[in-house]
Amino acid sequence: MWIDYMKRESVFLLSSGIILFFIAVGIITPDLLESVSQSIHAGILDYFSWLYLISAFFFLIFVLGIALSQYGTIKLGYDAERPQYSFFGWIAMLFAAGMGIGLIFWGVSEPLLHFLMPPPFLTSSSPEAASFAMRYVFFHWGIHPWAIYTIVSLSIAYFSFRRGMPALISSCFYPVLGERIYGMPGKLVDVLAVFATVFGTATSLGFGALQIHAGFTHLYGLSSAISVTIGIIVIATALFMASAILGVEKGVQILSKINIIIATILLLFILSLGSTPYILNIFTSTLGGYINNVIDLSLQSYPFAGYEWSRDWTVFYWAWWISWSPFVGLFIARISRGRTIREFVLTVLSVPTLFTFIWFSVFGGSALYLELEQGVDLARVAGEDVSLALFVFLEQYPVSGLLSLIVILLLIVFFVTSADSATVVLGSLTSGGSMIVPMYKKVIWGLSLSTVAIVLLLTGGLDALQMMAITAAFPFMIVMIILCYTLWIGLSQEKDRVEK
Amino acid sequence: MFEKTLIPVSYGERPEEIKKIGKILKNLGSNSICLFHVTEAGSFFRGSDISWLMILKEALEELGLDVEVKMGADHIASSIAEAALHEGADEIYMKTKRRWQIGTMLLGSISRDLLRLSDIPVFVHKVRPRLPGDEAVITREDLIILYATDFGEASTRPIPYLMEFQGGWCHILHVRGRMADPFAEEIEKRRLHEKLTAVEEELRPYYGRVTSEEVIGDPSSEVLRVSDQISADVIVLGRKKPAFFSAPMGETAERIVTSSRASIFLVP
Repeated sequence: MWIDYMKRESVFLLSSGIILFFIAVGIITPDLLESVSQSIHAGILDYFSWLYLISAFFFLIFVLGIALSQYGTIKLGYDAERPQYSFFGWIAMLFAAGMGIGLIFWGVSEPLLHFLMPPPFLTSSSPEAASFAMRYVFFHWGIHPWAIYTIVSLSIAYFSFRRGMPALISSCFYPVLGERIYGMPGKLVDVLAVFATVFGTATSLGFGALQIHAGFTHLYGLSSAISVTIGIIVIATALFMASAILGVEKGVQILSKINIIIATILLLFILSLGSTPYILNIFTSTLGGYINNVIDLSLQSYPFAGYEWSRDWTVFYWAWWISWSPFVGLFIARISRGRTIREFVLTVLSVPTLFTFIWFSVFGGSALYLELEQGVDLARVAGEDVSLALFVFLEQYPVSGLLSLIVILLLIVFFVTSADSATVVLGSLTSGGSMIVPMYKKVIWGLSLSTVAIVLLLTGGLDALQMMAITAAFPFMIVMIILCYTLWIGLSQEKDRVEK
Repeated sequence: MFEKTLIPVSYGERPEEIKKIGKILKNLGSNSICLFHVTEAGSFFRGSDISWLMILKEALEELGLDVEVKMGADHIASSIAEAALHEGADEIYMKTKRRWQIGTMLLGSISRDLLRLSDIPVFVHKVRPRLPGDEAVITREDLIILYATDFGEASTRPIPYLMEFQGGWCHILHVRGRMADPFAEEIEKRRLHEKLTAVEEELRPYYGRVTSEEVIGDPSSEVLRVSDQISADVIVLGRKKPAFFSAPMGETAERIVTSSRASIFLVP
C-alpha cells in the first residue's frame, strides 16, 4: 500500500522532500545554505549568463514565428471549440497574471536605480542615464517575459487541450520521451517545474513582504526588524491558506478584479496629478527607443564594460520570469482554451506588455520627473532601500497617506492571490495535473512557499531571493528549450493528423 | 541483379582490384560493364595513352563479362551521370576509398556530386560485401538487404529495384519520430504495421526471408545501427529532394552514405 502510494505520489514526495531539505538546511545551518547557493549561483552566472539572454531571445522569435506561420490558425482545443471566456474577460485575467507584486515593487525603484547606478559607460544621474533607465525597464518588463510565459502556456495548452493529455509539463515531453513521461524522466521534469515555481513565487512573496513592511514602517513607524517581515509573511500565509483551503475561488477572482481596478485608478491618479505631458513624452520616446533597439537589448551583455550590471539585472529578470513560467504558464493556458495560437500569442505578447509600459512610464517617469525637474532626492532613497522608494514617491502627492495604504492593500491582496494560485498550481502539478487537489497538499505547499521566503530573507534578504530565482530557473530553462522542440514536433504533425 | 553497370575509373586503377569488383557484380547478375574515364580540361593525361584502360577491360573480359570503354571530358560527376544515362546503364558502381587514419569511409567530392546528380541508381561499395580475397565471392543467396523507408514518396521508389536484387534476406526498417500524444501514437503504430505487412508480402516472392521492424529515433543513426546489427550487405535508400539548407542528397542519405559500413544503393 505504501509502495503504491509512493509510486503514485512520487512527484509530490520528491519535490516536497527537496524543498523540505532546503528549508531544514536553511534553518539548521544558514551559513552552509548561503555558501552552497552562492557557489551554484556564481557558477551559473560565470558560465551561463549568456545562455539566459540567448534563450529569452530565442523564445521570443520562436513564439512569434509560430504565431505568424501556418500553425497560427491551430486552435488550442478541438477545432469546433469556442473560447471559454469573452475577449475582454480573457484580457482582464491576463492583466491579473501580469500585474503582480513585482510591478508595484519595482515600478518606482527600478528606473531610479538604473538612473543612479547605470553601467560604467554612462554617467550616474545624467539625462542619458534616465533614458537608458526607462529603456531597460521597458526591456525587462516588456515582450520577453511574456514570450517566456507563452512558451510554457502554449505547450501546456496545446498538449492538454488539443492532444488530450494531463495539464503537466511532462505531458509536453511525450514526443521525445514517449511512455517514459509516466516514469522517472517525466517525473523529473515535473519536479523541476515545481522547484522553479516554489523559488520563483517565494522570491515574489519575499519582495511583497519587504515592501509591505517598509510601508508600515514608513507610515506608522513600525520596527524595521526582520522579525516583523516574518510576522507579515505569517499573517499573509494564514490569509492565503484560508483562501486556498476554503476554495474561495470566486472570492479570489473578485479580489483580483478589484485589485486591477484599484491599480488602474492609482495609475490614472498619478498620471493626472503628475506632469502628464512629461510622462506621455517619456512613454513615446522610450517606446521608440525600445522598438528600435530590441535586438541589441536582447543580446547585449556588455562584456567590455557593464557586464556585472547586465548580470545583476537582465539575467536576474530572465531567471525570475523563467522560474515564474510554470505557474503563470499554467494559469494562462487554462484561461485560453478555444483560442487560436495566433490570437493567443499576439494578444499575450502585446496587451499586458502595453499595460506594463504605461505603468512604468507613469510611475518611473513621474519618479524621474520629481528627481530631475523638482529636485526630490528619490534615487538616493531607492539606492538605500528599494522597498521604501515607492512610499517616499507617494509622499509627493496629495492624500499620500491614503495612497500608501492603498498600495499596501494592493500588495497584500496580490500576495494572497498569487500565493493562493501558486498553491493550487503546485498542488495540481504534484497531483498528476488534476485540479482537485487534496487538502494536505495545499497546506504543505502553502507552508513551503512562505517558509522558503522566510529562510531566504533570513539567509541574505533581497540578494538571497534574487540568487535563488536564478539558480532555480536554470534547469527549467533547459526544460523550456526542449519544450520548443516538442511543441514544434506536435505542430508539424497537425497536417498529417487532419489527413489521417 | 542489373544487366549493365557503369564503372567510373581513373588512372592508377589496378586490374586485380577491378577483377574483384567484376566478380561481385557478375555474381549479383551483371553481365555488361561500361568502363568510363573522364579527363578534366587541362589534365596532364588528357588525350594521352589509354592502354591502362584496355588492361582493365581485358581483366574484366577474362571473367566472361561484356565490356566497353568510354571516355568523357570536363566536369567529372556530370559526365559520369550523363554517360550512364546515354549508355543505358542500370546502375553506376562506385568503390569508396578507405581512410585508415580516421577509421571511416569518406566520400570524395566527385562521388558526392555524382550521388546528387545521377538520374539512375548509384551503388556505393563500402566495406560490406567484402571484395573476394581468400573467402568466396558473395552470391545472391548470401545477400542481406536492408531497406530503409519512411513511406514517403522518395522511399517507395526503390521497391522495383528491391525486387531485382533477389537476395537471401530483406529486412525492412521504418524509422520515424514519435507522435505527440499516446492516442495518435497508437493509431500511427497500427497504420504502419499494416503498411509494413503489405510491403513484406510484396517482397516475399523475391527473397528467402523477409522481415520488418519499426523504430522511433533519428533515421540515419537507426539505419546505421540496424545495418551493423544484421550485418547488412546493402542498404537500399531513396534519394530525397534536398530541402533548403540541407545536405545535397538529403541529410539522412548523406549521413548513411558517409558513415555506413554496408554498401548503399541510392535510388534517385
